Amino acid sequence: MIQAENIEKKYGSFTAVEDISLSIGRGEIVGLLGPNGAGKTTIMKIFTGYHFPTKGKALINNYDVYSDSLKVKKSIGYLPEMAPLYKDLTVYEYLQFICDVRKITKEKRKTEIERVVAECGLEQVIHRPIDKISKGYRQRTGLAQAIIHSPEILILDEPTTGLDPNQIIEIRKLIKKLGEHKTVILSTHILQEVDAVCNKVLIINRGKIVARGTAEEIRREMQGDFRYFITLKAHDGSEIKSAIEKIDAVNEILLFETKDNGLFNIKLSVKNDILDGEELFDWAVSNNFKILSMIPEKVSLEDIFIKLTKEGDEK
Amino acid sequence: MNILGLYKKEIKSYFNSPIAYLVVLFFVLFCNVYFLFFNQFIARNVASLRGFFALIPLVFIILIPSITMRSWAEEKKVGTEELLLTLPLTNWELVLGKFLSSLTLLAIMLGMTLFVPITLSTLGHFERGQIIGEYLGAFLLGAAALSIGQFISSITSNQISAYIFGVVGLLFITLIGEVAVLLNPAGALSRIFTHLSFTFHFGSFKKGLVDTRGLLYFLLIIFYFLYLNVKVINLRK
Repeated sequence: MIQAENIEKKYGSFTAVEDISLSIGRGEIVGLLGPNGAGKTTIMKIFTGYHFPTKGKALINNYDVYSDSLKVKKSIGYLPEMAPLYKDLTVYEYLQFICDVRKITKEKRKTEIERVVAECGLEQVIHRPIDKISKGYRQRTGLAQAIIHSPEILILDEPTTGLDPNQIIEIRKLIKKLGEHKTVILSTHILQEVDAVCNKVLIINRGKIVARGTAEEIRREMQGDFRYFITLKAHDGSEIKSAIEKIDAVNEILLFETKDNGLFNIKLSVKNDILDGEELFDWAVSNNFKILSMIPEKVSLEDIFIKLTKEGDEK
Repeated sequence: MNILGLYKKEIKSYFNSPIAYLVVLFFVLFCNVYFLFFNQFIARNVASLRGFFALIPLVFIILIPSITMRSWAEEKKVGTEELLLTLPLTNWELVLGKFLSSLTLLAIMLGMTLFVPITLSTLGHFERGQIIGEYLGAFLLGAAALSIGQFISSITSNQISAYIFGVVGLLFITLIGEVAVLLNPAGALSRIFTHLSFTFHFGSFKKGLVDTRGLLYFLLIIFYFLYLNVKVINLRK
């Protein structure tokens, strides 16, 4: 649905993004993650046809954003970082304007406006001028504008900024729901948002993609190894140790604690992806150990983010 | 052409803010007061609006930029320009939508002054053809000024500078002929500049003649500056 081939964008001599290639399919919610000024917004602006790439190609539904910009714009809903609102219009007039331009027919208009008003929770402010409503409502009016024509593709630049925690949760729910049928690209620098909403992540730093995949894949890749914290019940500690040595995938034993009642706390470092929890469980059963708990340890996305974006800065 | 949506929104914006009302009110009041009192229409005892239309180029210099200053500058300032440029509209549709809405305001402005000839027509015999010519000329002059103002708004990033540059621009193109004549009387240069100026072409309409040269001149100015406006939108990408 969305494709980029070696996109580069320069503003004068400043290179905002370079060599960005990506491909996003239907029903994916992709999070662009990166520090401020990394180039997230530039990438989004290229897909919306607001900016044109200096080099490379950006395609939406196989239409080029430059030469077929009108077709591209019809299939996209876009919420820029600062919600683009006409403050002298009421929320209703504003949505009506979008309907007019998007050529939503008179018969459908009422139901469409009612739908987005309900989805974005705008019932209370619908007839108030936009400059009299709170920032949270403005942000939601901006989102309503982006989804009123039921676009196949939604591009949201930091959609939850300026919202209170309850609203953030609601908007995330809404985005997730929309993502069931649509393709969504959203940018954020809030890491939990990616975990909560997205099923794919692109980490961007200094105009380049430095990591991509599901949050899980990125974690695993960045971690290098995979760690399990297990509590075993067995008769003898040395028995456990010799059994562990027989597992090829184990790199090392990071922790071996003997507890009361024949319990052992063990932390294992295993080679990436080779040993999963199920195999470990089978291994324990075949050796007559009982696994009481098993916790795969995750590296937080925060650690990865810091590591990736700092690395770039040092270079 | 998908213009109507933007046109409706622009009209709403004009009349949601005090600007449109003030502009119309100022125009009608100022022109009529000047015409009836200072120009001593009654004392002259001639059924002609020439004194009224003589004033229009100067009034437009200060009024038209106040209509067009918001056009693009405000969109850029509040970030709605990004919305407009990512909606499925071509650059021409954007430029024309804005232009036609300001043209509507101009028509309302001029329409309000029709009360003068209508009420005065009982006092004497007005030449109908002349008045139609005069109004047509004023409309074309205003339209050309609007296209220039809108273009200037597209290259500035705030309303104040859009207004000031608008006034300067209109002052220039209105008076360029007079200035050239002062500097270089009877020279070829002054003739060229005279033919480029608003006052020269408005002059023939003022006499009640529909001059095709004047018509063509104003239409070309309108087209040219709208075209520049379209180009400016492309440049920003």
